[in-house]
Amino acid sequence: MSEPYKHQGVGQKIQKQLLGDWYQRLEEAPARGEKVAYLFISGNLGELLENFGFHLVYPEVNALQCGVKKVAGQNILAAEDLGYSGDVCGYVKNDIGLLSGGNKMPQGTTLPPPDLLVCNYAGCATYLRWFEALAEFYGAEMVVLDVPYLRGTQGPSPEEVRYVVRQLEELAETCTRITGKTLDRDKFRQALEFTQESEELWSQVLHSARRRPAPIDAYFEAVFFMAPIYTMRGTKGCLDYYRALALEVQERVDRGIGPVPEEKVRIVMEGPPAWPHFRKFWEMFKKWGVVSVASTYSKVGGIFDQGFRHDPDRPMESMAEYMLGCYTNRNWGMRSELIKEYMEDYRADALVIHSVKSCRSFSVGQADLREQFIRDFEIPTLFIESDLADPRYFAEAQMKNRIDAFFEALHHRKVTARV
Amino acid sequence: MNRLDEHLAAARKEVLDLDFTGPRAWKDAEAGRACIGFFPVYVPQELIWAAGALPVTVWGGGEGIEVEYADARIQSFICSISRSSLELGLTGRLAFLDGMLFSSLCDVARNLSGIWARNFPAKLCEYLHYPQNDKSDAALDYYLDDLRRLGGQLGAITGRTVTDERLGEALDLYARRRALLHELARVRNLEPWRLSLEEFQVLTRAAGLRDPRHHCQVLEEVLDDLPKRDAKKRDGVRVLLEGSFCEQPPMELLQVLDEAHCFVVDSDLSRGLRWCREALERSGDPWHDLAGAYFRHAEASVVRHKDPAERSKRLVERYQASHAEGVVFCTAKFCEPAFYDFVLHKRALEREGIPFMAVEFEEKMGSFESIRTQAETFAESILFFAEEAVA
Amino acid sequence: MHVAGIDVGSTQTKCVILDENGAVAGRGIRMTGADVLKAADQVVAQACVQAGIEPHEVAYTIGTGYGRYRVATGDDQVTEISCHAKGAVHLFPGTRTILDIGGQDTKGIRTNARGEVVDFCMNDKCAAGTGRFLAAAAEVMGLEVEEIGALSLEATESIKITNVCTVFVESEILNQLSRGRKRQDILAGVHRSIAGRSASLLRRVTVESELTFTGGVARNPGMVKAVEERLQVKVNAGEDSQYMGALGAALFALERELAGARRQEAAQ
Repeated sequence: MSEPYKHQGVGQKIQKQLLGDWYQRLEEAPARGEKVAYLFISGNLGELLENFGFHLVYPEVNALQCGVKKVAGQNILAAEDLGYSGDVCGYVKNDIGLLSGGNKMPQGTTLPPPDLLVCNYAGCATYLRWFEALAEFYGAEMVVLDVPYLRGTQGPSPEEVRYVVRQLEELAETCTRITGKTLDRDKFRQALEFTQESEELWSQVLHSARRRPAPIDAYFEAVFFMAPIYTMRGTKGCLDYYRALALEVQERVDRGIGPVPEEKVRIVMEGPPAWPHFRKFWEMFKKWGVVSVASTYSKVGGIFDQGFRHDPDRPMESMAEYMLGCYTNRNWGMRSELIKEYMEDYRADALVIHSVKSCRSFSVGQADLREQFIRDFEIPTLFIESDLADPRYFAEAQMKNRIDAFFEALHHRKVTARV
Repeated sequence: MNRLDEHLAAARKEVLDLDFTGPRAWKDAEAGRACIGFFPVYVPQELIWAAGALPVTVWGGGEGIEVEYADARIQSFICSISRSSLELGLTGRLAFLDGMLFSSLCDVARNLSGIWARNFPAKLCEYLHYPQNDKSDAALDYYLDDLRRLGGQLGAITGRTVTDERLGEALDLYARRRALLHELARVRNLEPWRLSLEEFQVLTRAAGLRDPRHHCQVLEEVLDDLPKRDAKKRDGVRVLLEGSFCEQPPMELLQVLDEAHCFVVDSDLSRGLRWCREALERSGDPWHDLAGAYFRHAEASVVRHKDPAERSKRLVERYQASHAEGVVFCTAKFCEPAFYDFVLHKRALEREGIPFMAVEFEEKMGSFESIRTQAETFAESILFFAEEAVA
Repeated sequence: MHVAGIDVGSTQTKCVILDENGAVAGRGIRMTGADVLKAADQVVAQACVQAGIEPHEVAYTIGTGYGRYRVATGDDQVTEISCHAKGAVHLFPGTRTILDIGGQDTKGIRTNARGEVVDFCMNDKCAAGTGRFLAAAAEVMGLEVEEIGALSLEATESIKITNVCTVFVESEILNQLSRGRKRQDILAGVHRSIAGRSASLLRRVTVESELTFTGGVARNPGMVKAVEERLQVKVNAGEDSQYMGALGAALFALERELAGARRQEAAQ
């Protein structure tokens, strides 16, 4: 008789618990007189803000929670009633709809209003428009952390890093003004040490998908596993989470278990998931024995699986470098390069591009990427379309048809190749 | 044809010419000349000129282009200016350009720079990131560094270094053009029936395709001839048009507004050629002055971060300064920044009791009847309120 | 031995029956309507009559098209993308690109010499550029869909139809009619508009000669000409074009039945 699993499910379970506790603390913050900062995932800076005692709110995470819990649709409609177009980002509309309805999250807790809107503008211009709207609706102070878009092939220039570092220092001064506290350097160092170690463990988890078969689905599972490193990085809770997750993954490796009964096709996934139809969407791939071995959306809050680490000895500089290097802040040449590396590094058979209507930052250029991968690299590539927040933009039959046609053709070609 | 009509006809022809005959002829006229294409909005054209190149607006294919190849590269829910501009490139019409300059405007324009770079790898493809932190001194330092870097790139293409002297001269020349474009708008504002909106647009847009020295002369002659033009005074309501800062409305739409008695007396039409509000402050350092254009003299637009209250305040200021009676939001279909802008401006206008209407366009529109009806109704409603107020 | 392929499309359901040599023994076609199962049974029955067999004698059936999972008699399902590719290369071995314009969607497919799908692209989001567009144009002009193709070939003047939306094109056509434009010219404009959208779609998979035009709309001579002119490439089309999906499905059925028979033999 085989031993029961010790660690399976902790990745999902603990992450859910952490988020639940976090939303609870958020609800209690105003009554306790504690300050609240709103910020974005791409280029996030929890280590700095928490140093001043800010509670963190990530409107993008709220939106995906609402998507998964099937309430994003009504929030989006509420925002459209206020004048927002059908073609505006569904995450933004979910947020506006949520706030216009009293900021009550689907699991029951109420979100506190912001004392500071920290617009870390890294890779998404819509972030600016979003927080401008929130500044207006909440009457809150807004600070922009301007992270220049990466150009060329090399990575950030010294001028770019310098610009971001100076803004981080200015932000620290703003935080002092609002909270009355000064930056605690020891606490900052400790946070970055936790961060560094969390990034190492997270990278190990991601690298496990190099194995054949892969023990994790680096997209459908990774988008949940990634939550703590983007929202609570720098905390002990986050580090403990990745220690537990690493054990779960190791157990999968040891016991030869993975996300599907039999791995038949390995893919790299580009693009955000269809949150409102998550399970259904995943099933369409599982049916064909498809496992994601790498994905780009799981890097939206930072790319750590290629060696980058925050550095407690160079706190501001490494934070700046981290912000500049987030996935959507990279130019298309770099994004394409990364995907190609993933295809090779993780030994994938095909690329799947999920183009979402809401997110132009992700989506514009994906059709060109498709052409590049099929024509120039001769890599089988599937292009599918829906949305990340708006439940209306998921055409199930059409989606299924495209997915079936692609994996069916791949299967036929594999069969013919063997004959 | 009199001189004014000739200038209008020539400008119209050039603006609608998808083969860019004018800029190509300019380039061929002298050895060593180059052409650099640019996308809207806050592009420092003086820098391009100082490097010895003609800045050429590449702002879509307008109503004349059939998009066939670009649809395969850019999804259908994206603005048509990005697709038609790419189409111009993919069909070889932009082969004469020595490079293309994109800048931070929105995620589409930003990503378009990447699509462009991959598809035209042999040419310079540059991207300028306009600082969005309006509260930090570091922004100016960053921008100055970046302008110098860009100047170096441009000089490497043209073989002409951007010296302080050349940059200073370019600032002078473009100051002259700017003053004339503003004067044209001001003069039209006083008597909008003298120059139709479409005529104003072609005269402005032609600036983006021509040698600035030549166009300054054209504008001077137009300003000279305009007061003498035999134009019948027409009644209409004065409106401020907002939202056409990037993709430009079809000419027919502009005509429809005029015909519907909506006189556009201020707008962000061709904002990319009219983004600098006034003469630049000049110090001894032309690089500083050029950077200053963006920080101190740039007209507000949604594509640049500002406190929303400030942005709406500026809109209302422009509205009052032009003695407008209503606002027409005229935005390109699928233009994301414009969508966000609209909601916040709408609130501000409602608070101020300023009437407004909103229309959407795309480059290839079949019919303008519904816009005509909307505009006529809007004009009537404003006149009706005015009558009521008087009564 | 006989096999069957059933293509349950949004507008029509088709069936093709092949004998053991891959020759077409019978065909059936019906409007799909609301009862997909009934339509499938009816077309199978029709095809069986032509083949001279009873439905229960069909050894292997493959369902394709949007309704493929609802076909009770199917042994297996294959997407219509794969089926069109299979069928097209079978009928026209030089096929490397396929344009399939159906009732509700349009597909571009690139295939290799073995009929395998190398790349595909679909316009499955709206009716622009599909059979629906033609049907709407025919209706607003008071014509039958079957006559508009031939009429469009009689055009003498070039009219541009700019609306891509199936709903709005109706008012644009009425507008042109009220301005005294000839029906032939308007129809030519409509056909060219669809050819333009098809060209855009095909660019995504790259047009490689030969191009085979499949689906019901390929029987429209006006569309064949419009596509040829737009893409400047020779187009294969024929009476069988609307059966292409069902033919491909039947060919898959034949392959699987023969493979199954071989396995059984080997086991014995």
